[in-house]
Amino acid sequence: MQFTTSPSIPSSSLKGGSSIHSRSDIIHSMAAFSFTRCLVRSYFCVKCVDHVQTRLQTTTRMFCVSTSRSTQFTDTEVQDILTKITGLDLKKVFQPIRQQLTPPKYKLMTDTELEEAVRKAEEQAKHLLKMPPVLPERKPINDVLSEDQMLEGMNTAKYVFTDINFNVPHRERFIVVREPSGTLRKATWNERDRIIQVYFPKEGRKITPPPIFKEENLRVVFEQDRHEDVLNQCVVQFEPDSAEFKNVLMLTYEDIEKHGKYDLLRSTRFFGGFAWHLVNGRRIDGLLVDMLQRDLMQDAVRLVRLFNLVHPQSESAQHAQRQQATDLNLLKIYAQYESNRAGFIELAVQTYEQTKAPSSF
Amino acid sequence: MLFYTGCRLLFVVAIGQSFACKHLNQHEGLFTRFVLQGIRDWKLISSAAPGLKFRALSSSSSSSSSSPPSAENTESPETLSRYADRPWEYLESEEYIERYGSKPVWANYRRNHKGGVPPQQTRKTCIRGDKICGNPCPICRDPNIIVHYKNVNLLQQFISPQTGIVHDPTRTGVCMKQQKLLNKAIETARDCGLLAVQLPHVDYSKEDYSNTHGAVAPTPAPVSLRSGELWYSWYGSIKPDERELARVKRIYKDYLKPDV
Repeated sequence: MQFTTSPSIPSSSLKGGSSIHSRSDIIHSMAAFSFTRCLVRSYFCVKCVDHVQTRLQTTTRMFCVSTSRSTQFTDTEVQDILTKITGLDLKKVFQPIRQQLTPPKYKLMTDTELEEAVRKAEEQAKHLLKMPPVLPERKPINDVLSEDQMLEGMNTAKYVFTDINFNVPHRERFIVVREPSGTLRKATWNERDRIIQVYFPKEGRKITPPPIFKEENLRVVFEQDRHEDVLNQCVVQFEPDSAEFKNVLMLTYEDIEKHGKYDLLRSTRFFGGFAWHLVNGRRIDGLLVDMLQRDLMQDAVRLVRLFNLVHPQSESAQHAQRQQATDLNLLKIYAQYESNRAGFIELAVQTYEQTKAPSSF
Repeated sequence: MLFYTGCRLLFVVAIGQSFACKHLNQHEGLFTRFVLQGIRDWKLISSAAPGLKFRALSSSSSSSSSSPPSAENTESPETLSRYADRPWEYLESEEYIERYGSKPVWANYRRNHKGGVPPQQTRKTCIRGDKICGNPCPICRDPNIIVHYKNVNLLQQFISPQTGIVHDPTRTGVCMKQQKLLNKAIETARDCGLLAVQLPHVDYSKEDYSNTHGAVAPTPAPVSLRSGELWYSWYGSIKPDERELARVKRIYKDYLKPDV
């Protein structure tokens, strides 16, 4: 990959122009250049590189400050709790998918070999159950690079210039649009996604979003209990910080919450995001009740602990902190102070304490 | 009028015969006759009411087989669009179950060709204008079967339940025109979420979502250099080759500013 400051048209696939600075330093640098062949990737503001790096440092420093105040999705403790709640049902994760069939293979194994195979399967399952990231919504790009009135009326269509170098991450790819009015601006997020899909097609992703994400089609699919399929489609089609991604996720979560179909997402990669959404909205009652009905006491306790982590100012969190409560006492405190379905939760906790011996968690 | 009722009676007799005998060829022959007589019927009807479309063929044949002979001879609009608006209802009707049972619609169809190996492409189309060919394909022979993206039960019959890929027309016997319509309908159904799609697993570990790069973030303001500061930080550390430097200076000596 080469960078040229010469006035000749660059041989790389960039179809825009680069700014030229005529300084005597450049002559020295050109000689040094041919000697060293340094690689620089920015095309518009040559000084951008250093600045971007300093910016990165400042922004990471800013991020550090904000995370210490509130719990984020990416915290190790939060991720730990969410993975444990998701569960690991190997039968559901490795459900037979429709693919080209091969003849079945049979192996004779000893017990140790079988355990090794199960362990490998669990590792593969953990990789498949990695949660899609929960990110803040991306800010729109409104950056005009130049306004050339003399080009107004020359063309009737917009021209899109894209950097199609292969080893550039998509988020660092420059995509600019020359409008018929002569303005040269950076492409919006939607335009970026479409153009990147044209030049670097991803498997399963379409250029225009498929009609499954429209309200009426979503309703039909939810009635058939195929929420996981919708979420898979959404994950393949949209970027995780885009507005449409968040919208579809929210609609799916709302539908599941409304009908109490929590088991559909259990042991899939979306359960963590779902639980996080509920905890942030302070609506974990339905999920708690469902867990207690299925005798998942440990999961219920972890969920309440997550709630206390995310909302440390809530009453149940403060009481728990004061009493240093653990396990079932957490559930009792939560049921007492925060829950709408207090009766059911307390009853379930009592039955658990009576019927089963208080086993170690 | 008499001729028309006479034709319908012939239909009823023909159907009775067809379900009595199990022989395949006779069955197919009767199907063809069934449809051809329907076309002759349509010609009579169309001369009476020129606004009616080709689908009158289906409605006339279905109405004549199911309704008693005392029905009116003019086509009423309901019988026209019996299954045209909601083609998925036909797959639950008694007619369909009697004719096909639980097997797919292409199960009892056999192509007619010379030799052991069939041509690797089925015929281009079964229906050209008014004429229907001999031994039409499983979709064209039954006018109530309409290929529509909402007709999921019908579309599922043409998709392999194990691999999820669409069956080849050499296997099902449908004509190429209907196969294209099928492919389009299956694609639309998959897009709308009515049929299951197998999607790849998306890996999120390698992407950086900080959005701080100049490509997606607002362009930072240009920096003015302080005196003595170099444009790139590595300018000072790398020393150029003297001969190279002299050579470049000689080439561009007309354009150089006098060095301060």
